[in-house]
Amino acid sequence: MKVCEAAVSNSLHEHWAVPDEVKDGREFILNPPEPELVLDYEIESRNYAKAGKASSDIKLTLKQLGVDPSVLRKIAIACYEAEINVVAHSKGGKMHANIYDDRVLVILEDEGPGIEDVEKAMLPGFSTADELAREMGFGAGLGLPNIKKNCDAMHISSRLGYKTRLNFFVLFDKLINGNTNEQ
Amino acid sequence: MVTQMSNKKKEYYHSVYLETDKCVGCTKCVRICPTEAIRVREGKAKIDSTRCIDCGECINTCPVNAIRIISDSLDELKKYKYKLAIISASYAGQFAEDIGLEKALKALFHLGFDDIAEQAMITDITADIIRDYIRTHPKIRPILSSNCPAIVRLVQVRFPSLLSNLLHIESPISMLAKYYRDNITIEEKLKPEEIGIFLIVPSASQVTAVHQPEGTYKHLHDGAIAISDIYCKVMDIQKDLDKDNRKINSYANGLSWAVAGQEAQEIAADDIRTLAISGIHNVIDILSNIESHRLDQYDYIELRSCSQGCVGGSLNVENPFVAENRILNMVRSSKKLDIDNNYFFKLYREGYFDVIPLEPRSIMELDKDIKKAIGLMKKVKETLNKLPGLDCGVCGSPTCKALAEDIAKGNATLEDCIIRTRKLKS
Ligand SMILES: Nc1ncnc2c1ncn2[C@@H]1O[C@H](COP(=O)(O)OP(=O)(O)OP(=O)(O)O)[C@@H](O)[C@H]1O
Ligand code: SF4
Ligand code: SF4
Ligand SMILES: [Mg+2]
Repeated sequence: MKVCEAAVSNSLHEHWAVPDEVKDGREFILNPPEPELVLDYEIESRNYAKAGKASSDIKLTLKQLGVDPSVLRKIAIACYEAEINVVAHSKGGKMHANIYDDRVLVILEDEGPGIEDVEKAMLPGFSTADELAREMGFGAGLGLPNIKKNCDAMHISSRLGYKTRLNFFVLFDKLINGNTNEQ
Repeated sequence: MVTQMSNKKKEYYHSVYLETDKCVGCTKCVRICPTEAIRVREGKAKIDSTRCIDCGECINTCPVNAIRIISDSLDELKKYKYKLAIISASYAGQFAEDIGLEKALKALFHLGFDDIAEQAMITDITADIIRDYIRTHPKIRPILSSNCPAIVRLVQVRFPSLLSNLLHIESPISMLAKYYRDNITIEEKLKPEEIGIFLIVPSASQVTAVHQPEGTYKHLHDGAIAISDIYCKVMDIQKDLDKDNRKINSYANGLSWAVAGQEAQEIAADDIRTLAISGIHNVIDILSNIESHRLDQYDYIELRSCSQGCVGGSLNVENPFVAENRILNMVRSSKKLDIDNNYFFKLYREGYFDVIPLEPRSIMELDKDIKKAIGLMKKVKETLNKLPGLDCGVCGSPTCKALAEDIAKGNATLEDCIIRTRKLKS
């Protein structure tokens, strides 16, 4: 890292949300294994007409893989909120869905401008949404808390002036597979 | 009869069917079907019974009328001692002012019915019931109207995660059927099976719902007759109707729900925010948004498969705009009805109109086993890369992605893509 960068007053902030039951949570997010299937999307800054397309496609794909409807709905909410944040607050970025046979790991990485205080951003009600975002109906400051509520493990890291990276996964614990009534 | 139901695929009843001989394989229907239920293979269309929701979209688009609706004929009435017609509100919009609603209703007695009941009779009480349901289910938002059978089936096949959002109460027409059968049994001293209850319906999905209802606890209806069939008969017997002096109660005030948007408007209250969507493709967009919790601010959403509501159903005869105008005029010039609704409301509170939790009919998954499904999905993605991405439908599948899925499942081959084959040749 260059010296001038370190001189910027902002240090790396991160927030982990991994419940105790999810034992491999941190490890899985830090060193994700090779996924079975990867979906990639480009997210454009402030393009509200396109916003939600990536999440819709992820949702549709998982529906086709037979993910339980109630789990699917959690994934849909978390993906949508994460996608909108990149549209509304960043200069644009990428979204990936790494699909495994027991979960989906969603990774978002944008081009900045980063978050000054990640812990604060995680608080319900905290928002820096601009005029346009508010006009589009966003800015309640509930996106990140909602992602946390609907996933099984999440990690967000950022630093002012740099990228924001958000990772979360949702387990398909109620897979239709294995639970069918058919003999 | 002992059957091993669990091993068998459920058979679905459909009122929409294809006259294969007539089909010229143009693929128009393939591209319009909201559930991707149709494929053209070897020059002929074929409808997948597990996917079709009887919305009727394909019927209007077919240039050679190869897709049709089967409904019940008036001959069915002969099987019963006592015959009741329950009339869907859009019926009223079909007749020009010179015939008028009263004569149109009288006609049903001439066609063999012993009594009639109008959906419009219980519009107000249905609104009260729905408002009560909304207020007593604060955790479910938005609540989705289950009035349109095509929409119920759409949610079952494409949006199973929203099934619990559907209003779990019988539709107004089924409420009437239930109520009347029980009453007639007592009043006429008949066995329930001696009573024939027929719905006079505006759309294919309503016919299907009569023959294969969803969520209903017991047998409600005995048949569904197309509004268009009745209309033709009414025209034939006009002279007799002129001579008929019987008194008919009509309920013009309650007809409005045949028109899209009116249900939402009537249910709205200071504490109830409503929204109305019609047209099946619009409904699909909205359901997708609801799935991502983007419309939780609404308490109740009216959903109709046909773009103008029930007046737009393909079993009507009149142009939907004209029918809509007539109905709204009738509503405007009508008096507020004075019906004692307490009895109905009490029945609702006692659970008399409850339905069984609606079950998914998932058509979406590629395979029941997620490992296999992922394998298939990989194949789909690989195949999709080889296809031109024009979604032209010439192959007989609705989109390139659908063709890729058909190929992965072994139901089509890459050679079906004519564009690709031509490019490879040149
Ligand atoms: N990718 C991002 N880049 C920069 N800042 C972000 C990013 N994601 C979130 N933030 C910051 O975190 C704040 C809180 O985000 P959160 O999603 O919780 O609420 P919101 O987006 O402001 O409103 P809502 O999501 O309720 O519409 C945002 O206002 C913004 O300041
Ligand atoms: S009735 Fe609707 S769902 Fe059925 S095949 Fe036609 S368009 Fe598709
Ligand atoms: S619209 Fe469908 S059913 Fe009608 S001719 Fe074309 S392919 Fe055949
Ligand atoms: Mg947000």
